[in-house]
Amino acid sequence: MNDLVRLTDVNKVYQGGITGALNGVSISVEKGEFAAIMGPSGSGKSTMLNLIAGLDRPTSGTITVGGTDLAKLSEGGLARFRRDTIGFVFQFFYLLPNLTALENVLIPAQLKGSDAKARARDLLYKLGIKEVADKYPARLSGGQQQRVAIARALINNPTLLLADEPTGALDTHSGDQVMELLGGLHRDGQTILLVTHDAKLATRNAARVLSVVDGRVVDDARLESPERAASEVIRVRSEETSR
Amino acid sequence: MSLKYGVLGLLKGEPLHGYEVKNRFEAMLGGTWEVNIGQIYTTLQRLERDGLVKPVGQRGDRRKLQYELSDAGQKALDQWLAQPDSGPQQLHEDIYVKLLLATRIANGDLQPMLARQKRTYLQRLRDLNRLEERARHDGRIDLARLVRGALLHTEADLKWMDELSSERFGAEEAE
Repeated sequence: MNDLVRLTDVNKVYQGGITGALNGVSISVEKGEFAAIMGPSGSGKSTMLNLIAGLDRPTSGTITVGGTDLAKLSEGGLARFRRDTIGFVFQFFYLLPNLTALENVLIPAQLKGSDAKARARDLLYKLGIKEVADKYPARLSGGQQQRVAIARALINNPTLLLADEPTGALDTHSGDQVMELLGGLHRDGQTILLVTHDAKLATRNAARVLSVVDGRVVDDARLESPERAASEVIRVRSEETSR
Repeated sequence: MSLKYGVLGLLKGEPLHGYEVKNRFEAMLGGTWEVNIGQIYTTLQRLERDGLVKPVGQRGDRRKLQYELSDAGQKALDQWLAQPDSGPQQLHEDIYVKLLLATRIANGDLQPMLARQKRTYLQRLRDLNRLEERARHDGRIDLARLVRGALLHTEADLKWMDELSSERFGAEEAE
């Protein structure tokens, strides 16, 4: 069994409203996959991510991550699971304003001391922002803040990286850079689940697109990645076709 | 009509013969528009008839005959470049006709049709993303810009499918 994540008939009911609810979701994600979850707002896509991250519990159904049934974990066990197994990147970064970039990256580190610090610096270097290590978030651009947040998500070598609209608060250029980083992490073997409403960005890296509508997965598209000649992908209209 | 002006534009720099025009035109478009040599010769003949290009040197073997831009050709080219693209929007949306017909024939459940189409657009987005990446890698920024336009069009197509899905397109006729 190669599934890293498996949801079986997962339901999530919210009191007093249906928005974000899930309705019998069953999916699995293999190790090393980069899958995008797409859908309109309120469709339940973020709920899926939160349940997989152990930030919330389903009303019914089972969720296993790396073979662990999340329902069997105590609150403390769930907190350890989140710290050790999951990296989470949010739309609005959620960096602590009174800590430097480096200190923010170190927040989830289990190992304190110089090892973690070296790894944090290494991550900042890899993500192209080593020069911001000692700066406070307010002094950083949105793109830099999101890269700090990605470093923070990676500090414990998570088995699974979850990203909820990571480019949603960024301009096009910074968004492109963040997606490129995620693509690079995936090429290095990182399993990534990305929630987005941007199909253009999603299909750039994700070879799988799950469409969520009204709390149900309505499509699970696996995309091919062949090298296609330009003429197979685009035709500028010529006389023949416009006649 | 832009093949005509494409040829005029290429001849602006220097006199070219038919094959050179064909090769440069296709290279300029990065393989997204293939023309056959017959089309090029026909276009050159028409342009000559209309006084927009003129042959350089002796008329003999047409493969070796070079053409250059005339003053009238220069003027026509400038005018064309100064004009915005207009006319009705060209849509090649078979899917729309399919949906219309399927609404009459089938019993209202067009979701599978929309879902299949959506997948095709997702795959196209992925192909375009890779093409853009390759174009940038090859230093073909001009081609990357075209791909960017195609990406945005495809994104709009996807949104259209989503809108139709959420409207339960076809359901009203079935009720």
